[in-house]
Amino acid sequence: MRLFLIFLRIGVMNEFQYRINLAIQLLQSLIAVGTGLVVLALIFRQTTTLSGWTQPELLVVMGVYTIVGGIVGFIIEPNMGQLMQDIRMGTFDYLLTKPADSQLLVSVRQFRLWSLTDVVVGAIVGAWGLASMSATVRPIDAAGFVVFLAAGAVLIYCVWLLITTGAFWFIRMEMVQELFQGIYRAGQYPVSIYPTWLRTILTFVLPIGFAVTFPSEALTRRATVTWGLIMIGFTVVLFAATRMVWKFGTRRYSGASA
Amino acid sequence: MSSGDSAVSGDHASIVVDGLGKTFNVPVREPGLRSAVTSLFNRKTNDVVAVDDVGFTVEAGEIVGFLGPNGAGKTTTLKMLSGLLHPSEGQASVLGYTPFDRDKEFLRQITLVMGNRNQLQWDLPALDSFEMSRAVYRIPRPEFVEQRDELIELLDLGELVSKPVRNLSLGERMKAEIANSLLHRPAVLFLDEPTLGLDVTMQRRIRSFLADYNRRHNATILLTSHYMADVEALCRRVMVINNGSLMFDGDLELLSERFGGHRTLVVTLSEPADLSTYGEVVDDSTPSRPSIRIGGDEAAAVTARLLAEQPVIDLTIEQPPIDDVIERAFGVEADTA
Repeated sequence: MRLFLIFLRIGVMNEFQYRINLAIQLLQSLIAVGTGLVVLALIFRQTTTLSGWTQPELLVVMGVYTIVGGIVGFIIEPNMGQLMQDIRMGTFDYLLTKPADSQLLVSVRQFRLWSLTDVVVGAIVGAWGLASMSATVRPIDAAGFVVFLAAGAVLIYCVWLLITTGAFWFIRMEMVQELFQGIYRAGQYPVSIYPTWLRTILTFVLPIGFAVTFPSEALTRRATVTWGLIMIGFTVVLFAATRMVWKFGTRRYSGASA
Repeated sequence: MSSGDSAVSGDHASIVVDGLGKTFNVPVREPGLRSAVTSLFNRKTNDVVAVDDVGFTVEAGEIVGFLGPNGAGKTTTLKMLSGLLHPSEGQASVLGYTPFDRDKEFLRQITLVMGNRNQLQWDLPALDSFEMSRAVYRIPRPEFVEQRDELIELLDLGELVSKPVRNLSLGERMKAEIANSLLHRPAVLFLDEPTLGLDVTMQRRIRSFLADYNRRHNATILLTSHYMADVEALCRRVMVINNGSLMFDGDLELLSERFGGHRTLVVTLSEPADLSTYGEVVDDSTPSRPSIRIGGDEAAAVTARLLAEQPVIDLTIEQPPIDDVIERAFGVEADTA
């Protein structure tokens, strides 16, 4: 935790040197959200609900989608990118000679501060959606939202790290990042609008459903206790599995590399 | 020596290696599309012995040069000693620890520097990377500041540490890399080509720094280098490895004796004389100052005869340059292999 805070401080301090990036990132967030809003508007010109989701509710989903994207861009994506580069360049060796947990070390080294603009923009869109909804948000909904959001971020981290760990076996994995972004775009809409097979994949295999739809469902009173427990259980299991694969992968890396 | 008694003899020995070996299992594939496809399903692999039955002991405070051509197994050995690679055979003990256990206490006391691989954050000033190292090694603040400032001074880094690393020259970067690797004041240093690609001045600077660091902290240093000057300046003891086997372990001077095979005698005479009966005359351009080449083991006898039989004013015995010696040593190995 101390390690995390020190790295965070250094990362953040440095990002402040590049203030122009803030403007660029902000512009990017606005364009992305703007396009999303236009698409939503077009859809709702034809219909009043999409698989049972009203327009304000979909705004909430879009807000959550943008928030989660911001979290991913802030910490998960830069660290996984750096890890991939380290494995390719051989500098990963250094990480294994440090007296700290290697998984922790690779997960908290880099921060892209300005990605947090997505979190802000997403929060505004989400709040707008919530305000236009007829129902109000109860404390229990808000709590569920926070828990699901955190669990969702952990799930995305696990999946990404699992895929990256694959680089121990197959060095060429640069496309992971693009692959992930492509799939993540599917999270812009609630997974319930997709056919069952795709929904299952997006929920359990590449848990966009968990990460984006679940927090939104909490806010729109769709969440059930059962599904909440399933999500938390799934997060714990996947985290443990990721840990095991990481340990196994680093051992194997040591055994095989030249 | 087995690892069992290393705990007993470990008072002074900082590295004990016995029968160490590493075999890599590498996929082989013929060139061409067809074999590329078949190798997807039916992967042929080859065992490549990178290190074979290597054994040595290094005392605390020693600087040992590790020599050998590319691919000889130097880096593989260093990686096994720093806990990165699991040995296929044999034992290694560093400071009483088995490296591959990667015990945190062990890792806190060693460092690994690879001349061709950076670990400083590219976009950040080195000072920030130093802070990160402090966090990773949990160095108390006063100790950290003291060690950091000492390193900055000894390596003559000055203001360079506050510039982003990407703006530094190769040599400056290497100095910063070394400083970063020594902040936790390791007792054992594994240096893989620390002067790679640096100019002569910078090489000398790093060399004298390492000698100084070794004296100040009684640190054990195991160093590989392509530059003979590094080894000659720093190491009294060298180990020569080729094709994974340790071919020589001992004094630098003994190395030239063993593999050099010959000495050059430069004789200054009061009047010219024919010395071809003593050895092969390699240079008689100055008749009163000829050079002859003789076998390493006959140096004493030939010198005695010369002094007795010829009007010798002065006489020097020259060892062949270490580069020649090494080249010769590997040549010998290649011939017999």
